[in-house]
Amino acid sequence: MAILETRQLNKHFGGLHVTGNVDFALQPGEMHCLIGPNGAGKSTFFKLILGEHLPDSGAILYDGEEITRAKPFERIRKGISVKFQVPGIFKELSVQQNLTIALQHHVAPEILQEEIDRLLAFLKLSQDRKQLAGNLSHGQKQWLEIGMAVALKPRLLLLDEPTAGMTPDETFATGEMLQELNREGMTLLAVEHDMAFVRQIAHQVTVLHFGKIFAQGTIDEITADERVAAIYLGEVDA
Amino acid sequence: MEFLYSLFSFFYQFGDAFAFLVLSACGLAVIFGMMGVINLAHGEFILCGAYVSTSATHMGVPLPIAIALGSLAAGIAGMIVEVVVIRPLYKRPLDTIVATWGISMIVTQGTLIVLGTTMAGSGTPFGSFTVGDYSYSIYRIVLVVMALATLAALWLMFTKTRFGILARATIQVPHVAEALGVNTNLIYSLTFGLGAALAGLAGGLYAPTMTLVPTMGAAFMVEAFVTVVVGGADIFLGTAPAAVVLGFIKASLTSWQGQLAGQIGMLIAVIIVIRILPRGISGKILKERA
Amino acid sequence: MSSASRFTSILKLIEGPQTLGKGPKFWSGFSVVLLAACAYPAFADSYDVGNNVYFFNWLFMAMGLSLIWGYGGALSFGQTAFFGVAGYAYGVLTINLGDAYGLTLLSLVLAVGLSALFAAILGYFLFFGRISGVFLGIVTLSVTLVLERFMAQTAGPEWAIGKARLNGFNGMGAMPSLTIPWPGGNIVLYPDVTLYYVTLALLLVCYLGLRILVNSRFGNVIVAIRENPMRAEMLGYDVRKYQLATFVIGSALAGLSGVLYTSWGNYITPASMGMTAASLPIVWVAVGGRTDLTTTIIGTLAVLMVFQSLTIYGSQYALIVMGTLLVITVLIAPRGIVIALISPFMRRKSKLEGER
Repeated sequence: MAILETRQLNKHFGGLHVTGNVDFALQPGEMHCLIGPNGAGKSTFFKLILGEHLPDSGAILYDGEEITRAKPFERIRKGISVKFQVPGIFKELSVQQNLTIALQHHVAPEILQEEIDRLLAFLKLSQDRKQLAGNLSHGQKQWLEIGMAVALKPRLLLLDEPTAGMTPDETFATGEMLQELNREGMTLLAVEHDMAFVRQIAHQVTVLHFGKIFAQGTIDEITADERVAAIYLGEVDA
Repeated sequence: MEFLYSLFSFFYQFGDAFAFLVLSACGLAVIFGMMGVINLAHGEFILCGAYVSTSATHMGVPLPIAIALGSLAAGIAGMIVEVVVIRPLYKRPLDTIVATWGISMIVTQGTLIVLGTTMAGSGTPFGSFTVGDYSYSIYRIVLVVMALATLAALWLMFTKTRFGILARATIQVPHVAEALGVNTNLIYSLTFGLGAALAGLAGGLYAPTMTLVPTMGAAFMVEAFVTVVVGGADIFLGTAPAAVVLGFIKASLTSWQGQLAGQIGMLIAVIIVIRILPRGISGKILKERA
Repeated sequence: MSSASRFTSILKLIEGPQTLGKGPKFWSGFSVVLLAACAYPAFADSYDVGNNVYFFNWLFMAMGLSLIWGYGGALSFGQTAFFGVAGYAYGVLTINLGDAYGLTLLSLVLAVGLSALFAAILGYFLFFGRISGVFLGIVTLSVTLVLERFMAQTAGPEWAIGKARLNGFNGMGAMPSLTIPWPGGNIVLYPDVTLYYVTLALLLVCYLGLRILVNSRFGNVIVAIRENPMRAEMLGYDVRKYQLATFVIGSALAGLSGVLYTSWGNYITPASMGMTAASLPIVWVAVGGRTDLTTTIIGTLAVLMVFQSLTIYGSQYALIVMGTLLVITVLIAPRGIVIALISPFMRRKSKLEGER
């Protein structure tokens, strides 16, 4: 059974369909990337899955259970977690506090510190635990947010351009982090622009175009598809 | 006939409430809509307009010119406030609301010290007319016309004039406007000045109908706030329809239970509306159109 | 975990990332101040001591506003509404119930409870409607302004609840002071040394209790909501419930101030909910540094004392100074003057690290 499934998912603003009848299924254990030109409806699709927007029609299923109209925090409690595009961290709080807030409602107080230390090591932020999160470098902020998302021990992790603004080295290190999480059994769905990064991590790639699924396959299949190259060059209309 | 009389009476009440809501709110709404700043010194710009126009009429200036002077004085005061206090706080919109509250305190108490606890009014002009058993003030009808004229003038200003188009461009994409050579600082000053001048206009228009005291601005605040909360950030799609709806609620409750019930009912209605439409009426309309 | 170790783990929260001041230095300073406050009545005229309880009365409302605005990031500009509701409720209840059998204490609890209930209802609509920053400020301010106008027009004899006349604009008076039933004669808390100690004790309990609250898991979440509500929600927290709970606690503290003030002066007026009254807590808390309980208390006391000494020249002059202080604070020290003054000495405290 798919861990995440959308059926005929529709969202339009006024006359403009931003997602049109999207049927999408994500298998457990998969690392899946969502790509597409600007305005393809990637971020709207993400917001529908998270419950930031509600769809006009269609259904969203998580683990076979319908969550189409559930509140965002309810979806999180079911085992979905998210990393936003712009680092969503608590800037005025220390790195350690950021992680504490992510961990505290499902980790017993006795092992809280242990868990924080483990996460800090994973994020390569052990040296900066007392630093205010707002003072971290851009890449470190992205990692901290990944850490907060992972702290919830989600089964499904959504990432909206996790490497935006990172140096190539940081991007590669991020890829390794995500692969490690995937090896531990986490399913990942990422919106991504950086094709080198997609090549590094993705098992499967879905191309969105004008709110519809345009192509699906492995990265090699997708890059070999001339129609996909064409939409990036703006030669194909919906 | 009796029915027509009470129908007229209701429409008069409604028009009165509508005009008061539009005129007290539009200055606040222009500044909020264009700059994202809630100006808590709004009442003090109203005070400024009322005091200046009344002083002018005492000196023999005809009322329409006196009102224009009051509005102008408030507008200039607004531009000064923008430069000194608002500009350094552009990146901190929540702080501007606190800073303008400070200004409000200074102006209210300063007026009290300099001009005393009250100022002699100028009396309501034009007299009254009778429909059925009740008499109605002609000036209240003038106020309704002025409210509609203000809305029309603002619409023309924002859609047809160079200032209006530049102002909307600046608000939507400040860095692009700047790159195109628009003096964005000047636009912000003028916008804030315009909001203050509208407040001054409300003060000038209502001065003949009220007791002039340094705290009179507060009498406008609740109406201005609730209209902006319901209306959201757009003056034409928000403030004007909000004033219609709220004016109706207020007029119904006022004719049933009196002035205060109108005000309380309006506030309760607003608090309930928030639960249903968090972004106000214009938020709802804009979302549908986007 | 045994109950004893649970108790100590709660006590440990008295220090933490959300409060400035930790370690032996802070607590020895704190003890010195507390001892001085305890010793003060021995060196002063009991009339002055009773009068100065006035300053303490406001601190509860200030701490409540610090919790809602400073910690929670919600602009509640109408805390005086809850002050007034509780103050009037205390008046109405005690005038009807009298001061025997500890009924004034029951009235205190009921009045504070009523203000909390009012906050819960109002807060439900506002927070569950997901109203944004500035709108929350102007709606709460509107509520207190409308309450003022409502109470101001209750002058007629028809506005009475039981034996209690509301008295409109002139305000309500002649309610009994808080009275503690005691074997061998009730202790009436007139503005005097006893009231001073009782209020001081209450203040100490609230201050320490709030320190524990803001450093607890609950406190972590409300600070997180202030910093980034979307992220907090996406960590699985129901943001609306936390905001509502914060609002109710802070407003109940404003209610407590209202009861203590009414009992202290045997008097409450509609003006206590007006525009000027509503602006003063904003000044105290903003000047002190709203993001910390201790700086809020220091700031509030300092500003109140300046205000009191200036009212000799007329309250309008004092209010001009207050307004100026507020504008200057926002422009020059947006985190509060007290925080700006102490931050050079507290470099190593993570809470202040890396000022923007």
